[in-house]
Amino acid sequence: MSNFLSTLFEYGKCVFGNQSSPSTKPPLIYQFLTGVADFAIFTGRYFMELIKPPYEFKELLKQSYRIGLQSLPLVGITGFIMGLVLTVQTRPTLAEFGAESWLPAMISVSIVREIGPVITALICAGKVGSSIGAELASMRVTEQIDAMEVSGANPFKYIIVTRVLATTLMLPILTVFNDIISMLGSLAGVNIHGDVSFSLFFAQAFAQLSFTDVFPSLIKTIFFGFSIGLIACYKGYNANKGTVGVGEAANSSVVLTSLMVFIIDMLAVQLTSLFIDT
Amino acid sequence: MSTETSQHIKLGLFVTIGLLIFAAGIYFIGDAKQLFSRTFSMSAMFNNVNGLQVGNNVRFAGINVGTVENIQIISDTTVQVDMVVDITTQKFIKKDAKAIIGSDGLMGNKILNISAGTVGKPIVENGDMIGTTLPVSFDDMLANLKITTDNASSITNDLADIIANIHSGKGTIGKLFMDTVFAENLDKTIVNVKQGTKGFKQNMDAAQKSFLLRGFFKKKDTDKKSDKK
Repeated sequence: MSNFLSTLFEYGKCVFGNQSSPSTKPPLIYQFLTGVADFAIFTGRYFMELIKPPYEFKELLKQSYRIGLQSLPLVGITGFIMGLVLTVQTRPTLAEFGAESWLPAMISVSIVREIGPVITALICAGKVGSSIGAELASMRVTEQIDAMEVSGANPFKYIIVTRVLATTLMLPILTVFNDIISMLGSLAGVNIHGDVSFSLFFAQAFAQLSFTDVFPSLIKTIFFGFSIGLIACYKGYNANKGTVGVGEAANSSVVLTSLMVFIIDMLAVQLTSLFIDT
Repeated sequence: MSTETSQHIKLGLFVTIGLLIFAAGIYFIGDAKQLFSRTFSMSAMFNNVNGLQVGNNVRFAGINVGTVENIQIISDTTVQVDMVVDITTQKFIKKDAKAIIGSDGLMGNKILNISAGTVGKPIVENGDMIGTTLPVSFDDMLANLKITTDNASSITNDLADIIANIHSGKGTIGKLFMDTVFAENLDKTIVNVKQGTKGFKQNMDAAQKSFLLRGFFKKKDTDKKSDKK
């Protein structure tokens, strides 16, 4: 314990006392705190660059296409399977109470409130997070970002702002697609054992849903998208250690964004239950 | 067409369809809650709303026609329930319509059922107060059920006592079922009655053949025949 404190004190003196860096590796807590500070500065710079013209609309559209439309097949297939599986697994329990007619309402509420946003965010964290992390890290290690800075272009605005904004805007739209495709999967699941028409299923589903289910979950996806884009960009933009750094950036992007999705989700549920009587 | 333009068109289509699905979802949810149809409001006073909540459905003839808009306590024995109802239903609801709080199935939400009222009475107007019928609460049902089970318990106890008495041969029925001496006596009595009726029949046959009583029996036969004619 005393060893740890003395090392921390030594590093503190380096930061606040203009002393040269110590020879030993910094402790984990020190790395964590400097990492948090770096990330906060990165986030602040993002907002500064976001509002400052010129705006890179063309690059934004390109990134939106890559992040949004090219993720749709994966999100759609996952959503359909989730809706189907959830329905098939829930049905026996409801059948015990003779409440099978509650399936559409129950599944639709689960999908819209929780499963749709979280599954979409996790799929995007895996697909988009790793791709952004690896792409930016390889740009960093091959000094493309440095070259852009030297040539007078603003790499932060061109690379980071467009990608973060694209994930923030595309995730809610992908979630809407995921929700509706999951409901179609659920309709298929209900019709394996029973006979429920398309119109009856959606009438029952929408009768039970309310705006307090839809809007908080949609606002949640905006934060999911923002965190996925920002963390992946931060990890890729600050990559080092050559080609090993590319792998590390891609890996830590996926891990951190997935973890962040769950943390944001937990906070969103707490906040929603605090303000809205659900 | 360049790749970039094609990508832009596809992206535009993707975003437009996404927004349309979202808008349709919002419309259907709002429609189910009667947010986009023209409505009128009514109120009803209850002593106890039995867990009815704001947003619960209002039903008329088994159809969801509105929602509960507000619930407020007026006094210690009165709760006012305000509801908004689809305007197309207004012409069917009369001034003497009654509201009753029900339940949507055993495990379902509470609902507010409205009866139509009497034919010929004027139609309800916006802001009107309609009458209410006291709902049968689950607690009342349980209280009644308790009385019934107590009665049933008392009856079964009495029945058990009666059967125990019969089993131990107490009382007339107990003796009839369980007392073997009584049964033997009864058996002997029946045998005696049989023998007695047999002897009586023989005596009557002899009396019919006796010259002293023959005239009487012949007269009786003639009366019988004339009655038949």
